Amino acid sequence: MVQTNVDRRSFIKKMAAAAAMTAAATMFPGIIFASEQLENLPKGGNLDWKKGPCRFCGVGCGILVGVENGKAVAVKGDPNSSVNKGLLCVKGYHQTMCIQAKDRLTYALVKKNGTYVKTPINEALDIVANKMKQTIKDHGKDSVAMYTSGQSTIPEGYVASKLMKGAIGTNNLDCNARLCMASAVAGFLTTFGADEPMGCYEDIDHADYFITWGNNMAEMHPVLFSRMLEQKNSRGAKIIDFATRTTRSSMAANKSILFEPQTDLAVANAICYEIINNGWVNKSFVEKHCNFNKGLTNMGYGLEDNFKFNDKPEEINFEEYKKFLEDYTPEKVAKYSKVSVKDIKYLANIYGNPNNKVVSYWCMGMNQHTRGTWINNLVYNIHLLTGKISQPGNGPFSLTGQPSACGTAREVGTFTHKLPHGVVINKKDREMAARIWKVPVERIPSKPTYHATEMFRAVDRGDIKFIWTQVTNPLVSLPKTGRYRPAMQKNSCFVVVSDVFPTPTSDVADVILPAAWHIEKSGMYGNSERRTQQWDKMVEGPGETMPDAWMTIEVAKRMGYGDLFPYSEENHAEEIYNEYRQFHEGAKHGMAPLEVLKKQSGVIWPYVNGKSTQWRFNAKYDPACTNGEDFHFYGKKDGKAIIWQRPYENAPEMPDQEYPFWLNTGRVIEHWHTGSMTRRIPILHRAMPNAYVELHPEDAMKLGIRNGEQVKVTSRRGSCTLPASINERGLPTKGQVFVPFFDESLLINDVTLDAFCPISKEPDYKKCAVKIEKV
Amino acid sequence: MKRLYFIGIFALLTMTTIFIWSKSYYTEQEEAYVILPVEKGTALIPSEKGVFERSEFANDYATMRDDYKGGRSLDTYYDNRAYHGAPPSIPHPIINELTMGGKSCLKCHENGGYVAKFKAFTPVVPHPEKVNCRQCHVPQKTTGLFKAIHSREFPTPSINNEAFIGAPPVIPHQIQLHENCLACHAGPAAPVEIRVLHPERSNCRQCHVLNNKETTDIGDFIR
Repeated sequence: MVQTNVDRRSFIKKMAAAAAMTAAATMFPGIIFASEQLENLPKGGNLDWKKGPCRFCGVGCGILVGVENGKAVAVKGDPNSSVNKGLLCVKGYHQTMCIQAKDRLTYALVKKNGTYVKTPINEALDIVANKMKQTIKDHGKDSVAMYTSGQSTIPEGYVASKLMKGAIGTNNLDCNARLCMASAVAGFLTTFGADEPMGCYEDIDHADYFITWGNNMAEMHPVLFSRMLEQKNSRGAKIIDFATRTTRSSMAANKSILFEPQTDLAVANAICYEIINNGWVNKSFVEKHCNFNKGLTNMGYGLEDNFKFNDKPEEINFEEYKKFLEDYTPEKVAKYSKVSVKDIKYLANIYGNPNNKVVSYWCMGMNQHTRGTWINNLVYNIHLLTGKISQPGNGPFSLTGQPSACGTAREVGTFTHKLPHGVVINKKDREMAARIWKVPVERIPSKPTYHATEMFRAVDRGDIKFIWTQVTNPLVSLPKTGRYRPAMQKNSCFVVVSDVFPTPTSDVADVILPAAWHIEKSGMYGNSERRTQQWDKMVEGPGETMPDAWMTIEVAKRMGYGDLFPYSEENHAEEIYNEYRQFHEGAKHGMAPLEVLKKQSGVIWPYVNGKSTQWRFNAKYDPACTNGEDFHFYGKKDGKAIIWQRPYENAPEMPDQEYPFWLNTGRVIEHWHTGSMTRRIPILHRAMPNAYVELHPEDAMKLGIRNGEQVKVTSRRGSCTLPASINERGLPTKGQVFVPFFDESLLINDVTLDAFCPISKEPDYKKCAVKIEKV
Repeated sequence: MKRLYFIGIFALLTMTTIFIWSKSYYTEQEEAYVILPVEKGTALIPSEKGVFERSEFANDYATMRDDYKGGRSLDTYYDNRAYHGAPPSIPHPIINELTMGGKSCLKCHENGGYVAKFKAFTPVVPHPEKVNCRQCHVPQKTTGLFKAIHSREFPTPSINNEAFIGAPPVIPHQIQLHENCLACHAGPAAPVEIRVLHPERSNCRQCHVLNNKETTDIGDFIR
């Protein structure tokens, strides 16, 4: 049975040792031979476990990385993290394996006469700095740009902002979080005047109902979904999946309600109509804590270059709002949303019943929407009208897709209009930044320039002559890549790409800088629930790889801004964090000091007097509430949140005779974003080797398409040929197809439309018109 | 009149009693629902939740024949994992892609059993309460790679891990999510090398202790 591989020699040795020990033990009672015993203990299990956040999505699970002989050999969930309580998903468990890829970028590559030449990193950084300086000299400050990421660490985002806005003096800094979180930000700012969710993941342990708006959490936020399932099984909490596609989440939910793309706007208004019509409004809450506003309508879709839009908020009263909602009775909305009157009333009833605790979750379905800001506002309306907000188990919760979309992009503010605290148009915020950065305040420009889509349009037009991308892969992730790929290939723009692996973006670069991966550097991330997570470098990066923050600092030094970046190479992450913390001092956004971050698996801000604020705007939990009431929405001057009157408007491109299908894009559980990391992990690649197009079985039958057959998806912009998937992972509604976007060889973003929400400037990847042909 | 007065007092007393009784009853009920704050911190003693989970089958395991064909070996066990401790991948075809697993996986994997089609016994899941199976376990649809990788040896624990002869072996692996020993160490699906000789004892952690940094390292013991 149990085999013991003890040979005779070692057996005799052991026996002799045992005999000697027994003899010794009889002579000297109590003696122990520690070394002898320890030697035999197995070494395999004795790893050095180092804590950090997961590299992938915005849930922000705590991980422990098992390190042996300087190599990462295992990953497990951190049981001390209140986010995931020891559980991870398949990506999380295998994440560190991507650094084993043979095509890892380990040296700088500089394009010379059309071929890449291996270059010492110091020379490559010289080239980048000189080119940037020369471009500024020849074409002005606004001819250079940086495009960073919601996966940049806090220090990386901070030095990028300091270099562009503080040192050079241009607002040409934006990031890929514009493609995923901008509508959430605009929603928070317009409704509450303060960014990021008021609640936290602990809401899951208290809520009776989870309503997910266009959000396949079983695949995209699996660890949170597992926490919800646990509550479903143990407490009878209910999950309602409101979506345009049947997914694993729908199958696991108590109820799945499908709607026609874009009509979420109308259904949200219909829910508000029902709440008011049935007298479910929490009157005292609305009177004390809410104002009513309306904004401009027919605001366009940003399809043309240099599109400009500014909303004009206008105060209205409750009666006007009530009158506006009369266009959204369940009966009227049911006609075009394809949601039954019964289901609309069912949803309204869940929100309206004062005994239910309800949390709404959403992510890209609502954010990547040409009316993204509006739909965010509308879901807040539901929670404000019923007063179900800022309490344990009650509240709207906007999830994020990137590990530091909150921590870096939104809090450090790597957007063209943002500063680490506040916005560039605000004089006080500019003064604060100038003071902490020690630069003259005039140097920080007051006018925002290019948001992500417009930035790449400017590259195409030739307005931007130098662009540096870090930690992102825009030529897979931008909409309408068919325009932006040739744009970046043009000679008019010098392209610098910092990355860990070669990607379609690094393929068009003039200089490729080798970046250190996640655990090869120190840093901080900030997850969806305002949790700041710190980690120390765990393993050495290969070759000449360098943390992105340090690359930025090295370039800044070479450009003559060394005095603004007095950080040390080995400890820069911590030094930068300590400087950055000054921006957020106070009860509204105070961040935990480094000593605390080092000890814990993430700390939620506002961190006031040694305590995290789990539910903001609620006087019971939030020390920043000062109005003496139960709730205080202190983001707005009068302390009141805004209920917005936002109508339903059509999508920019609707299915028609020529292009009869909606195209929806998204992710799958095995791959994360553009797959540059997850596809290099064997177990994930083998589980999901390539992209596919999901069709409704009836549509497929009509077109004579069978599972696995090649299908051409064509829009007015481009086409993509993929294998058909029928009744597999997901099931789109009739008249809709779905394609995951991770596959760089089957680029679905050649097909998508670069229309965006005029308020948030976030593109809509979920809706455009396509035709389907069997190849 | 006098009688009415007495009846009145009596009624009043009864009502007061009912009122006080019910009020105190509800207060007590409320107290019973106070959620006690869970103390967070690093564990000094590793969790033992789940150790006894499958002990109801322990006697069956003890009387089972031990020469069944098609059992797993430690090699095939590790072959199915990216590294020691990683979630195993799904080595067989799956009927339904749309579900997250749950009941359809648990039908076989909750208690195991012989599957004639694969000529094998079904491995038993050590954490049947986690039902989003496909969150961590994925099938392997191809054998190719997206890009070549540097293959690396991941250390696996050895099976000779008694501190000295005759001592009970220590637990050489971490136990997070597989705290239920019998799921992998007993029954026909257990890899033959690590099958326990005495499954009926079921209080495994009485003699077998952890030997890794699952717990906080307090350094060498000095008197």
